[in-house]
Amino acid sequence: MSVERGLVGRLGVGDSPVGVLLGVTLLAVALTFFLAPGLVIYPLAAFAIVVVYGIFREQGTTARVLALAATVVTVLVLGLITIYLVAQSIPAFRIMGIDILTKTGGELWSPSSAIYSLVPMMWGTVVTTLIATAIAAPLGVAGAVFIAEMAPDWARGLLKPAVEALAGIPSIVYGFIGFVVLNPFMAEQFSLPTFGSLFVVGVVIGAMALPTVVSIAEDAIASVPGPMKDGSLALGATDWQTTTAVTLPAAFSGVSAAVLLGIGRAVGETMAATVILAHAQVLPDPLYDVFGNTETLTSLIASQYGIASGSQMSALFAAGVVLFVTVLGLSIGSQYVERRMERTLGGDT
Amino acid sequence: MSTDTGVASALDRGSTGPLRYAGGAVVAIGAIVVVASLLAFVQVVPTTIAGASLFDVLALALVAAAGCLIAVVVAAKSGVLDTTPDHTAGTSLAAVFGLVGLVTGGFVSAQTLGFSTLWPAGALVGAALGVVLAIVPREDSALAATGGGFALLVGGIVLTDVIGPDWQWQPEGLSAAFTPETTLPILLGVAGLLLAWVGAQAAAGFGTQGKARGASLLVSANAAGMIALLVVLISFIAVRGWGPMTEGIRFGLFWEPVTWFQPPGWDKYVIISAPLVWFHWPFVMEGFAITNAINGVAPAIVGTVWLVVGAVSVAIPLGVGTAVFLTEYAEQGRLTSIVEIATNGLWSTPSIVYGLFGLAFLVPRIGNGSSLLSGMLVLSFMLLPLVIITSREALLNVPDQYRDASAALGVSRWQTIKSVVLPAAMPGVVTGAILGVGRIAGETAPILLVLTGEPFPETGPDLLNFGAAFTSSFPFVELSFLNTDALLQPATALPYQLFATITAGVGDVGEGFSWGTALVLLLVVFAFYAVGIASRRYFDTKLQS
Repeated sequence: MSVERGLVGRLGVGDSPVGVLLGVTLLAVALTFFLAPGLVIYPLAAFAIVVVYGIFREQGTTARVLALAATVVTVLVLGLITIYLVAQSIPAFRIMGIDILTKTGGELWSPSSAIYSLVPMMWGTVVTTLIATAIAAPLGVAGAVFIAEMAPDWARGLLKPAVEALAGIPSIVYGFIGFVVLNPFMAEQFSLPTFGSLFVVGVVIGAMALPTVVSIAEDAIASVPGPMKDGSLALGATDWQTTTAVTLPAAFSGVSAAVLLGIGRAVGETMAATVILAHAQVLPDPLYDVFGNTETLTSLIASQYGIASGSQMSALFAAGVVLFVTVLGLSIGSQYVERRMERTLGGDT
Repeated sequence: MSTDTGVASALDRGSTGPLRYAGGAVVAIGAIVVVASLLAFVQVVPTTIAGASLFDVLALALVAAAGCLIAVVVAAKSGVLDTTPDHTAGTSLAAVFGLVGLVTGGFVSAQTLGFSTLWPAGALVGAALGVVLAIVPREDSALAATGGGFALLVGGIVLTDVIGPDWQWQPEGLSAAFTPETTLPILLGVAGLLLAWVGAQAAAGFGTQGKARGASLLVSANAAGMIALLVVLISFIAVRGWGPMTEGIRFGLFWEPVTWFQPPGWDKYVIISAPLVWFHWPFVMEGFAITNAINGVAPAIVGTVWLVVGAVSVAIPLGVGTAVFLTEYAEQGRLTSIVEIATNGLWSTPSIVYGLFGLAFLVPRIGNGSSLLSGMLVLSFMLLPLVIITSREALLNVPDQYRDASAALGVSRWQTIKSVVLPAAMPGVVTGAILGVGRIAGETAPILLVLTGEPFPETGPDLLNFGAAFTSSFPFVELSFLNTDALLQPATALPYQLFATITAGVGDVGEGFSWGTALVLLLVVFAFYAVGIASRRYFDTKLQS
């Protein structure tokens, strides 16, 4: 589509004073924001003036440079998130060493004596995520199969907006319902000793991750080329045989990417856990007591940021780092399997 | 003609006549038992109906349906019914009933037989029994033995009061205790579901068609369940929130002189006395104050609107610009794929992590405390990846012929982008942005960390401030439309308000206030979604025509 040239040449930044000016003023904005945020208005004004000038004199160059700048800012945001999370969490890692991720005995979370072990929270996140996945993965994939393969037009027209609406219900609303309705129900019917339990959180998060799994898995299933299915149907297989033997295996990577992203959602879900749990930073006893109370990584941050300072705040950032790394890994993993699916299926799908 | 009917009968075999009715009855009873058990579990229906225990009635229905299924299988075996069973039922049935057998076996050996530590052995025996029953006999017998057998077992347990009114089970190591009120519906519901599944297979005459029918029953039921979940959630909030939300709405008419401007050449204007509508809706027009008769969420609504406006005006230009650069200017290669991985990573980053980032990076630089501006920026960072992903998809979907045709006319690249590519991609960009806005409007975790101050303020952020004044210093005229002080003040927002009603425990915030807030929040978010979905429909039909 374009003639090969160097990055700078292709952008035309070096060719014109407008490009250079834009670059310089933007750099100034960035520098002031880092060093003296109070003065950021002046370089910003200069940048705006150059942009206005550029739009009248050299629109093409201005647009190119602005698009490049937007890209740089996007990459910068990801970089800054990583840097700031890690930088702020270093004190906690320095105090606790590797114990922050592995300490299981004795006192686990005691800000007053500067003991921070994330193990109970990691366990809470693992348990809630497992329960949520056990709900969201099979039901979500089944829902995707129904929408993509089996549903008559009217049902599809009803289900797709319904799934989007489910995805749109804010997490705090789910949390509120869990707090007001499910918690008392569980306490009364199953005589739970504490208000709130990992089980309720897992169920609520599972319901929240469901639409994510459905819509992404549905995309994957719908992108399996029609001729593959036609071949199976022409051999006399039923629709269901075609679905299980041809479509689902072909879409396997996409479906697993959907499940991975659903797990990512479940790991990162904050408000439901914060509202429902009773915030005990201890391991449940015994470990598999899903009706017990502990804490998740997300709810730890949301419930303690207000009272935390110093090393405790740093420990919260460490929890953020664990979350960030986990979810980034899931995201990259899902992208990898998705690409593999594109390669396998090939062609214009 | 004769071949036609022959083909039809071969295809429909098993789905006509008595088999269909008998199988259909099994499915219907199974489905009714499932729904009734679910309702009994959530205690919507009473557990005694006309003197009889609901669970006994359901158990009788299950036993009858299981008998019907067994009769169907006997008839099929003796050749009365025309069916096409496979020689074995297959792995899915074996897996399901292996699991059922595992749980049942463990349960029975621990509870009824009293093997305290030997229950794993019982569980294994049960699992083996389930698998053997599912795999060894011919398909029709296997279905009757597993689905029908489990229904008979559960029916027997309920009818003979093995799990009676005084029964209670406290599993070792779990904090929960199981009572008949919760255990019986679970048992009956599972048995009913499995019975409906095998019944559907029987109704279609077993074999391949039967498996397809059974699977389609389960998958459709799952889809119906999702719709039901949505309906239950929304109606629950609507029913509870409607009263508090609409409390104290007053409206009326009053007469007032109204000035009507007339076209020139006629009179300049006339003044008539006309009715005007006045309208007062306390819940969305008032803040939170002791003097208020009815407290409202107006500050939170204003805060949410400003947050969305701010986030959109930062994220859309940045996101669309990035998408344009990646798609139109950059070489498709390492750079674009790195940025793509980064955006996808950003998209799935937990919202609380954005909040932490805002706390560490933005808050110290902007006013050194919670502020509206920090909230806007954090939410815009959350919105950014979604805008990039959807815009990029929309730009990639613009056919290359458009670009080539424009380039062939000698139009520069930017002109092509501006007048050909972007207009063609606009629908996708707009829809993606609106759906993204719906998501950030309900986001709580990040604003919790960077935006909020007092949970129940009396007034919202007062951001617009139109004014003009002469000053003594350069440039001597001061025009203002933005109240920058408000940008640096903490604010509130609808999702935070809902969170605050849960945690704050302020004396005069009743539960009704929370439900009303939840309903308003839901309405605001769904309004964004409705606009997004409607615009997508509109653009879709426009593209197709």
